[in-house]
Amino acid sequence: MRRVAVIGVGMTKFGKHDRSSAELFAEAAADAIVDADIPPSRIESLYFGNVTGGETERQLHMAPLAATALGLPTIPTTRLETACATSHAAFRHAVMEIASGVSDIVLVGGAERVLNVPTDAATEYFAYCSDATYEQSLGLTFPGVFALIARAHMDRFGTTEEQMAHVAVKNHRHGLLNAKAQFRKEITLETVLKSPYVADPLKLFDCCPFTDGGAAVVLASADVARTRNNAVWVLATEAAADTMFIHEKPDLSRITATERAAARAYQRAGKTPADVDVVELHDCFTIAEIVATEGLGFFEPGGGAVAAEKGVTSLGGKIPVNPSGGLKSKGHPIGATGAAQITEIVTQLRGAAGARQVEGARTGLVHTLGGNAATVLVSLFGRD
Amino acid sequence: MTERVITLQSFFEEARAGRLTAVRCASCGTLAVPPKEFCPACQRRAWETVPLTGSGKVTSFTVIRIPPRGRAPEAPYAVAVVRLDEGLSMLGRVVDVPLDTLKTGLPVKFRPVVSEGNTVIGFGPA
Repeated sequence: MRRVAVIGVGMTKFGKHDRSSAELFAEAAADAIVDADIPPSRIESLYFGNVTGGETERQLHMAPLAATALGLPTIPTTRLETACATSHAAFRHAVMEIASGVSDIVLVGGAERVLNVPTDAATEYFAYCSDATYEQSLGLTFPGVFALIARAHMDRFGTTEEQMAHVAVKNHRHGLLNAKAQFRKEITLETVLKSPYVADPLKLFDCCPFTDGGAAVVLASADVARTRNNAVWVLATEAAADTMFIHEKPDLSRITATERAAARAYQRAGKTPADVDVVELHDCFTIAEIVATEGLGFFEPGGGAVAAEKGVTSLGGKIPVNPSGGLKSKGHPIGATGAAQITEIVTQLRGAAGARQVEGARTGLVHTLGGNAATVLVSLFGRD
Repeated sequence: MTERVITLQSFFEEARAGRLTAVRCASCGTLAVPPKEFCPACQRRAWETVPLTGSGKVTSFTVIRIPPRGRAPEAPYAVAVVRLDEGLSMLGRVVDVPLDTLKTGLPVKFRPVVSEGNTVIGFGPA
């Protein structure tokens, strides 16, 4: 297979927008194409991610609409949906299109718009990513799903609500340094611990927000990438899956799809967790970051909570996690999240992350999780 | 070709009548809810229907306080993962248990929760 590189990245400000998902994606994609320094006509195809457009915008067939909004109406497009892992899954397919030799330059990304509907409607639409008959019918929400995981982690390892709160405080501190973040406000442990329960034991400040936004990356074959100064290599991009059903997972304190995707990605890239300098991972809830840092091999099972408490995952710590502010502070427009995480890691590996730069970062990891931990993608990136 | 032993519809019709059912692999004995075509353990396609006692213990739970659209009158309500005596787990709404007494390890027993013609899995005091 051919080597693939990221040659351009772009994302909108995350937060509330009075623009459609197609418009948000088009802005991010145009920025990514300008960043790649190629004529737009060089783009050969688009892999596009969006989850709730049918519900929040009454809009399907959104990929050609997004290409049309970008001004490239004739490129072939594909829309993917794997819940919150949507645009990372789209990224993997775009990588495969180039690696296989079908195309040389491919655009990938996604967008989401949900702040135009009330919170209870958005909560309902996101719950569509769990099973309709056995789970949604019980009134189970996504905070509820991760609350079940949090309870299992607390029972098994003694993880505390205060340790989970450290993740929120850290990611808000990082988000303060990111001009594109939805929330740029430091919070204290007390802010988190005194916030109301959403789904016990998770409180409001354990949860990422609803967000509008778009993100995009331009991928290229090695022949094109070698003519660029800013190319960042895709060392591996792996997907793993697990049963859709919460009740079929034998140990809720672990997310085995993360463990399997990570193991394959490390093997393909010839890397180990110790080689990773900077991480963007799926902190949709504080407990999700803790479980992910364990599944990715940075800490033993149960060690993620202690690491968060001790600052090991903070900027300046041994393994900085979510320097962008993560989903918690940067925001989580679910169709755009994977591409936005990749944008941050590429920016870090270029040494262009400004105040939140992880000094000397050469190898970065992106982890994105979809739905009831049924879909996980892990990709590794590096500079020559 | 095998005859389908449980469908989504028949599972919930049985549940409504108070009978919790699973499928068991005739080859290796693996129990499953919901049914699948191939046994995840041995890859055979030979299922039979078996009744479950409905007795088990809570292994994880949450209290939903911010519900999805249309469920505000029900909130707060609890959803729990219950490990049944037969060894497989099910997710259900917790009923007739005070929320502040809910804990992991609590023994519970299946009961159907029917509202507006829809049936969901519920668990009440053992």
